[in-house]
Amino acid sequence: MKTSSELRLAPGAIVTGKWKRGRYRVERLLGEGANGQVYLVEHGRRLYAMKVGGDAVDLQSEINALRALASRRRAEPFLLAVDDFVHEDGAEYPFYIMRYVRGSALHEYLLREGADWFPLVGYNLLVKLAELHEAGFAFGDLKRENVLVGEFGRVELVDYGGATAFGKGVRQFTELYDRGYWNAGSRTAEAAYDLFSFAVLCLHLFEGRRLLQLSQTLLPQNRSPAELIRLTDGHPQLKPFSGWLRQALRGEFATAREAAAAWQRIMYGGGVKAVRKRRSSSGWAAGLFACTMIALAAAIAWLMTEGVLPSGLS
Amino acid sequence: MKQLLLITDGCSNVGVSPVVAAAHARAEGITVNVIGVVERGESISSAEMEIEEIARAGGGMSRIVNTRQLSQTVQMMTRKTVVTTIQQAVNRELRQVFGAESVEALPPERRGEVVRVIDELGESSPLRVALLIDTSASMRPKLAAVEEAIRDLVLSLQSRSGRSEIAVFHFPDSEDGDGCVCDLDWTDNIAGVNRILTKLSMRGTTPTGPAMMRVIDFFRQDDYGRTNRGETDGMIGEDVV
Repeated sequence: MKTSSELRLAPGAIVTGKWKRGRYRVERLLGEGANGQVYLVEHGRRLYAMKVGGDAVDLQSEINALRALASRRRAEPFLLAVDDFVHEDGAEYPFYIMRYVRGSALHEYLLREGADWFPLVGYNLLVKLAELHEAGFAFGDLKRENVLVGEFGRVELVDYGGATAFGKGVRQFTELYDRGYWNAGSRTAEAAYDLFSFAVLCLHLFEGRRLLQLSQTLLPQNRSPAELIRLTDGHPQLKPFSGWLRQALRGEFATAREAAAAWQRIMYGGGVKAVRKRRSSSGWAAGLFACTMIALAAAIAWLMTEGVLPSGLS
Repeated sequence: MKQLLLITDGCSNVGVSPVVAAAHARAEGITVNVIGVVERGESISSAEMEIEEIARAGGGMSRIVNTRQLSQTVQMMTRKTVVTTIQQAVNRELRQVFGAESVEALPPERRGEVVRVIDELGESSPLRVALLIDTSASMRPKLAAVEEAIRDLVLSLQSRSGRSEIAVFHFPDSEDGDGCVCDLDWTDNIAGVNRILTKLSMRGTTPTGPAMMRVIDFFRQDDYGRTNRGETDGMIGEDVV
């Protein structure tokens, strides 16, 4: 098998499974991870995501993690088919078909929909991590690009290339999010490893510039959770969660469930203040509403006399 | 599992060819990986071919990276080589048990179990990685990054469930000019080590091949129980050159 970076499937290309003969029409490239490429494909008039790997063993490790997760989850299945195909260049590529999740990467979502979504999206992400952990796996390579957010802050983890059974060495990680890189612990797959990455992810979202600066200027031996903790209470979005972030960076949560519950308490415990100022005097707002209603009534009356609206409406 | 990782930035210019040395390593069951390390904007095109050849002869892989990518590359290469080594062994078994040539030849639904075994063995099999560092003049500004990469590798290896050890060597040798110096004997913990690469020589030679032969010898001595290293050091030199 070849490395998938050499592969480029053009829109309209037909991929036929070697073993199960399923036919998939390529719509476009969705993204590229360390272990392969993800395409949007059509099959039986429905859209799916197809991950094509360069290496059958690497891809199968990922599939094993997805299978373990699927056996625990009652929700609709994420992994739908596994097969190989023979490319026109003669090389064989393994692939799997998964549910297509419409959404955007976490940072893009918050930029577009507003940072008000941050506490909820964060909570949903912690729940996703908890589900994976309860299936016996750490996600490993948690970062902005691997968190897809759909409608109303629904979260899906994508790219399971780093998913690692608890107790083993994390298979794939990104330095900036890595506990070992920050001299904050081992690379053993466990709940606290993902929670550390989650905390760095929060910092990356709101203190990105300062975070990158830290990683570029600090000497390797001086990188430490303490340096990261200093970034936790500068930004108004992070401030309510600064205590939580400190705990995550120090590895003090035993499980993602516990961490999610703590996050939830902050979310609903009045710790989170809307960044926009609340309208304090409801009096003038009520007045404004009354004026609007009068204007509306006047407009309807005018339209009716002009005969634009059917009189039956009144 | 035995790996030799060579980190260099130029061509060898003394003694036995490093490509020959890499082939020797492979015959001893040692996989040779090579990283060519460059500073921003630096080109080592003259050395690229040799770097690639060494890795091919040693059954491993090669990469040219800048200092910032060094830690990740060392970590990734070591891990990938472990998986490949296990995979080769598993493929031999597959041929006997299933008559299948490789994991890829199995239908997807039967791969799951085999890959679980590969992952499990990759995690638990004993592993030894010898790092051989070129410390000639042009490498000097890059040695801080090399030390960081070594520490990072040890951290990754510590999370394996199997026994994992590294040893560190550098060349050229300040004494005879075409051997190498052992900076760290097999160890799984370097937390107490302040500086890894010490006693650097001022010589201008790059005896990559002879240094590799020394490291192969070091592996071999260890396999037979470590005795009389001083005496056999000279013998391996005569054997080969």
